[in-house]
Amino acid sequence: MADSKTLPEGLKDFALNGKAALVIGAENPLGRVAAITLAEAGAKVLIASQDAGTEAALKEVAKTIETTGSKVLIQVQRAALRADLSATVDLAVTKLGGLDIVVTALDEPLYGPAETADDSAYDRVFESNFKTAWMAFQEAGRVMLKRGGGVIVNINSVLAERGVPNATLYCAAKGAVRNLVRALALEWARRGIRLNLLECGWTAEEGSIALEPGDFSEKLIKYLPYRRLLKPEEIAGALLYLVSPAAGCVTGESIAVDGGLLGRG
Amino acid sequence: MILDSFKLDDKVVVITGGGRGLGRAMAVRFANCGADIVAAARTVVQLDETAALVRNLGRKCLTVPTDVGKSDQCDAMIAAAIKEFGRIDVMVNNAGIGEDSFGKPIEQITDEEWHRGIDVNLSSQFYCARAVIPHMVAAKRGKIINVASGYGLRGGKHNYMYACSKGAVLQLTRSLALTYADHNIQTNCIVPGIFPHNEAMMKFFKGGKFIPIGRPGQDEDVGPLAIFLASDASNHVNGEMIIIDGGGLAGGVVPTGVAPGNPA
Repeated sequence: MADSKTLPEGLKDFALNGKAALVIGAENPLGRVAAITLAEAGAKVLIASQDAGTEAALKEVAKTIETTGSKVLIQVQRAALRADLSATVDLAVTKLGGLDIVVTALDEPLYGPAETADDSAYDRVFESNFKTAWMAFQEAGRVMLKRGGGVIVNINSVLAERGVPNATLYCAAKGAVRNLVRALALEWARRGIRLNLLECGWTAEEGSIALEPGDFSEKLIKYLPYRRLLKPEEIAGALLYLVSPAAGCVTGESIAVDGGLLGRG
Repeated sequence: MILDSFKLDDKVVVITGGGRGLGRAMAVRFANCGADIVAAARTVVQLDETAALVRNLGRKCLTVPTDVGKSDQCDAMIAAAIKEFGRIDVMVNNAGIGEDSFGKPIEQITDEEWHRGIDVNLSSQFYCARAVIPHMVAAKRGKIINVASGYGLRGGKHNYMYACSKGAVLQLTRSLALTYADHNIQTNCIVPGIFPHNEAMMKFFKGGKFIPIGRPGQDEDVGPLAIFLASDASNHVNGEMIIIDGGGLAGGVVPTGVAPGNPA
């Protein structure tokens, strides 16, 4: 919980005291950081999963959040199902008393040659990375438009801005979310909803291809301006800026947390 | 604790163009977060007003009358800041001019107007970065914040010097960022949209009614972004341009307020 007595005057609009927040994909490393960050800044948080069978991971995140003193609730769901998302959004409104902030941390990478990718690969990658985000924005908007506003942040990747060979569908889906955020930000700009993205550089998270020993990861590390991968917790500052009233004039935009990678590439 | 990473207690922040507008708003916001300020600008009266605001918040403020378009004056200003405080933690390259050649047909723009604009808007940022970098390298840390403009990313009628200088600021940002990444110096760029500073500008920009969120930027909107970029909260953000324009650059292929179909 943000202690307003010790917070410098100049930081007061970064605090989220009393805000109701929903994090979708909180079992993912970046979603976990987002949930903890929002709670540390004072928000009440509903942490919902991207996939089923993630109760243990969510409970671990909730336990960490409880040490901040902020209220936390868990919802295990399949975010790719409209009915699940809809119920989760309604649960946030009922149990947290509103919905001021939604963060989506949805991710499903796919790497391999384009010519061998079958239609099920297309469906899977676009469903997880794009369609689920689209449905989450719609469901959040359904509530936020009625309540007069809100903030949505999509945790995305530098792949939203550039191409990578052997990652065609993944890049396409990430880039599609980038432009979805532009268009939707404009559509809702005068109705009080801000939408933005965080574009993360190559991240040190479990299962990442950047952590697999071999030619790709060795050459990649040398290419990165910081010569190391992004640690998930390093997105916290940019996330808090974007979701807080401090960024009231920022919408349809992105902040890359990549050590300078997009400035180079 | 995330909010602690935004704190700027006892940091020394140099701001060019610190006598008015965005520069003054940033100076006040930095002071409100615990930083001491070095304010540089040409007009002494305006610098003194900024200093009074900063000191009123219990922070120190050194004012250095400076023409940032002149490299020797930038060097002297940075030297004065080091002499007073012993270090510079954050360099904010904010000074800029627009009005000299804005809106004039190309054949009426003199060499002097062109060079003066490029000097103040672009060369000043290079001069100040060049002067401050050795101190930041020695300290093994530093933050440089360059202020560009939405016009650095889009063209405009009769808009030559301003668009070119601000576009170049983005490139200066990237090159500084990549060169000094190994020295723990982050360089980033704030890209403001329409921020009218007086009634005439407000009228020129039609009150900002073409801005997607329905209002122009206010000087105070930029302060929090500068705080983020000056603080440890942004240590992995480097070479980045952050656009603060109420959604303007997200669109632009149809007029604001116009949409196909039947908008809700």
